[in-house]
Amino acid sequence: MKLVVGLVAAAGVLAMVRAAAARDVFPFPVFSRVLANGLTVVVVPYDSPGIVTYYSIVRAGSRDEVEPGHSGFAHFFEHMMFRGTERYSTEAYNDLFKALGSDANAYTSDDLTVYHALLGTEGLERVVDAESDRFMNLAYAEADFKQEAKAVLGEYNKNYSNPIRKLFERLREIAYDRHTYKHTTMGFYDDILDMPNQYDYSLSFFERFYTPSNTVILVVGDVDAEAAHALVERYYGRWNRAPYSHTVPEEPAQTAQRSAHIDWDNPTLPYLAVAFKAPAFSTATRDCAALDVLARLVFDETGELYQRLVIREQKVEYLRTYAPDRRDPGLFTVYARIKDEAHVAEVQGAIFAAVDRAAREETPAERLAAVKSHLRYSLAGSLDTARGVAGHLSHFLSLTGDAQTINEAYRRYDEVTAGDVKRVAGTYLTPERSTVVTLTGVHGE
Amino acid sequence: MRTTIAACARLLLVVMTVTTTSARSEADPPEVLLPLATSPLVTFRIQFRVGAIDDPAGKRGLTHLTASMLAEAGTARRPYEEVVERLFPMAADIGAQVDMEVTTIVGEVHVDNLDAYYALLMEALLEPGFHEEDFARLRANQVNYLRKTLRGSDDEQFGKEVLGAALYAGHPYGSPVRGLAGDVESITLADVRAHYQRHFTRGNVTIGLAGGYPASLLERLRADLARLGAGAPARVELPQPRPIGQVGVVAVEKACNSTAISIGFPISVTRADADFYPLMIANSCLGEHRTFNGRLMIRMRQVRGLNYGDYSYIENFIQEGGSTFPLTNIPRRQQFFSIWIRPVAHEHRHFALRLALFELEKLAREGLDEADFEATREFLVNYSRLWAQSQSRRLGYLMDSAFYGTDDFLETLPERLTTVTLEQVNAAIRRHLGYQNLRIAVITQDADGFLSALADNVPSPITYETGAMPADVLAEDALVAAYRLNVNRADSQVLEADDTFE
Repeated sequence: MKLVVGLVAAAGVLAMVRAAAARDVFPFPVFSRVLANGLTVVVVPYDSPGIVTYYSIVRAGSRDEVEPGHSGFAHFFEHMMFRGTERYSTEAYNDLFKALGSDANAYTSDDLTVYHALLGTEGLERVVDAESDRFMNLAYAEADFKQEAKAVLGEYNKNYSNPIRKLFERLREIAYDRHTYKHTTMGFYDDILDMPNQYDYSLSFFERFYTPSNTVILVVGDVDAEAAHALVERYYGRWNRAPYSHTVPEEPAQTAQRSAHIDWDNPTLPYLAVAFKAPAFSTATRDCAALDVLARLVFDETGELYQRLVIREQKVEYLRTYAPDRRDPGLFTVYARIKDEAHVAEVQGAIFAAVDRAAREETPAERLAAVKSHLRYSLAGSLDTARGVAGHLSHFLSLTGDAQTINEAYRRYDEVTAGDVKRVAGTYLTPERSTVVTLTGVHGE
Repeated sequence: MRTTIAACARLLLVVMTVTTTSARSEADPPEVLLPLATSPLVTFRIQFRVGAIDDPAGKRGLTHLTASMLAEAGTARRPYEEVVERLFPMAADIGAQVDMEVTTIVGEVHVDNLDAYYALLMEALLEPGFHEEDFARLRANQVNYLRKTLRGSDDEQFGKEVLGAALYAGHPYGSPVRGLAGDVESITLADVRAHYQRHFTRGNVTIGLAGGYPASLLERLRADLARLGAGAPARVELPQPRPIGQVGVVAVEKACNSTAISIGFPISVTRADADFYPLMIANSCLGEHRTFNGRLMIRMRQVRGLNYGDYSYIENFIQEGGSTFPLTNIPRRQQFFSIWIRPVAHEHRHFALRLALFELEKLAREGLDEADFEATREFLVNYSRLWAQSQSRRLGYLMDSAFYGTDDFLETLPERLTTVTLEQVNAAIRRHLGYQNLRIAVITQDADGFLSALADNVPSPITYETGAMPADVLAEDALVAAYRLNVNRADSQVLEADDTFE
């Protein structure tokens, strides 16, 4: 049986990149169900002999931190989820994962919090038991809560010797007026300092967001789909917590360019970030897909801008984009590390000129084809492990709750036309929708 | 040497078929092969036995720059712009990974694009362009890494590099792999050409190949790599690292909001030694990387909330990307033990450092008990299965096994661990893990003040603003706050960040 699945899996990857636009890009069978309590369970049998990966995806992240003073709480709460239940103390939980030899951790982002474990299949039921227990019955002492708040402060401190972190923190802060994307997932520094005092709030956070209908369980690996579904239902079926509804503030339309500068008190090359307000993730139109394509056409290493600034003129060390899919309108950010402060303004001008040209000029067909090929082979190359598969699926599950979104998203890539690229450049990447942040070091280079 | 591993296929997602390649001749380079007929990917790891230890004095960083000129530059046939344009639709690249002893050119491509990719890879290896404009770009990047990124943007990596330089002063491992900034600035394109011709030779290369490649590919690779230059330079002899008397401290002064700390000392154990395996168990119990298993993590972060993480290692360790697992193909003939304390608030730096050494001493004096031993061994047997989840990693481990002259490390590890006894673990601890003679690197503010406090054994009591702490922890805190270090002032120094790796 494993042999057959293995061959099917490998053949599926082969077929994927040769598929016609109408075909599904995701090559593995997906078995999805929604339990009576609202919990979505997705199982993907995958030929990783003896190995399975188990993801608990909470569709809550820093986006949901709508109350002033509580930024960073989704991430902090991720830490608290390791602080035990009546049945599994922190020590017992750690001992279990240690005994299983599992690689287990968690991460939080704007729209999601993910708990993941990679382990031998023989330990799956014990993991389902422990994970379901903490999602249903988390119980931690206030003293533990306060200790963990200090670990979060330590995480903030370790991150912020890197100027890129500061650059993106400031960028969000001034790009948004009302929406919670104004703060990073770590949260505002003052809120992090105040976290030890927010024990009661943490209890309500659990009740609000850790609910069955706000959670997806994803199992990828050497499992039988039916048996895996039965296992998850057995342990989570009795989880009942009412859905919570809240409103994330809508960001008003930006009408004028914004800017800020950061003086970094250590040596660094200058940095520049130019961010544009982008649309919320959707596969209903081709806008998001066209922006992803544009990012690669205009700013990747084959784009004229990169080749001129990085390779030929060598004024820029690197030029990158960061335009992640987000549930609400996020940022399409172009950022660069520039070799000399004297060139910062020129590079900024070149970035705006490049998007202006993209809005006016037609992309040659072969360039468009190269980007689409790149996107498909990138995906194919990253589906070579159970965790790779789970990583992609969890991203789309967090956005829509539906595993099929991955196929929809890649269909939209296939459909993008040169006209779409021009259109989205002219619609979204305009100066009045932009925010510019620069950062320079003590030596002013 | 030819290592074709069949058994490992069970660890992978695809089913392996028997290789049908023709026999290699004596003149062919060593090969490490992992054919996986149904894999849609082909992985190349072309490894040269050249590393930072081969950098000439005054030209530290030359191997790294030479490797960059192969992987991130134009070829004799086309400029770099065209190389990236050709690679882009395949979503493939050519990477160079350099460490002290080996340089590995790494690439992975979908079988659909194998021929086109292979042609570019061979151009890069056999017909490098050595264009002046690429050289200027890559040399500037390397200097900027040393002067800007390391000193100004990444205190944790900075601390590790400072520790490495302190452990191996006067030794071929004594500079960062990217070299010294002034040295790199003095490197010429002629230096790079000469280094390539001397070290990137057919007598110095190992072929690593994995995945769904056709049998004919190996034959092409053998024939093509025969076009590399002749010769195999003598291997650099490694002296013993200078002995450490008591505690040597390098404190680097820079503006920062927390203190990064690394601690270590050389050890005489590598994967080639029987003691490595019991020591793996001991180390995992003390500080398994990025887990909550280790005593350091539990006592420093979980119990006291001092920082984000605390780990220990018995060999050179670099985390692979965003994963938890070790990067492969950074093998070394000499290894070191280290503790990585992630940044702690300045006011807790002294206490945190003492607590780490307190735990190290406890391990060194008392060893493991039966329960710790059994639990840690079971963990490692299960956990190490996860290190082979991609064909590229599996190939990397096989090549490292070839470097150390051991059987397949991952395949034999469970059995090796299972046969280790508690007595062997504790004997290995006694032989290899001391706590009195070590080096400490810190990146901090008021470095002078910190060094003096360390040397004078100034008490460093800790208070908790966050509520009641168990009595046993408070009692331990009192011991830790007064924990004595025998700092050797003559072997300690304060450096300005700007003066490092210059």
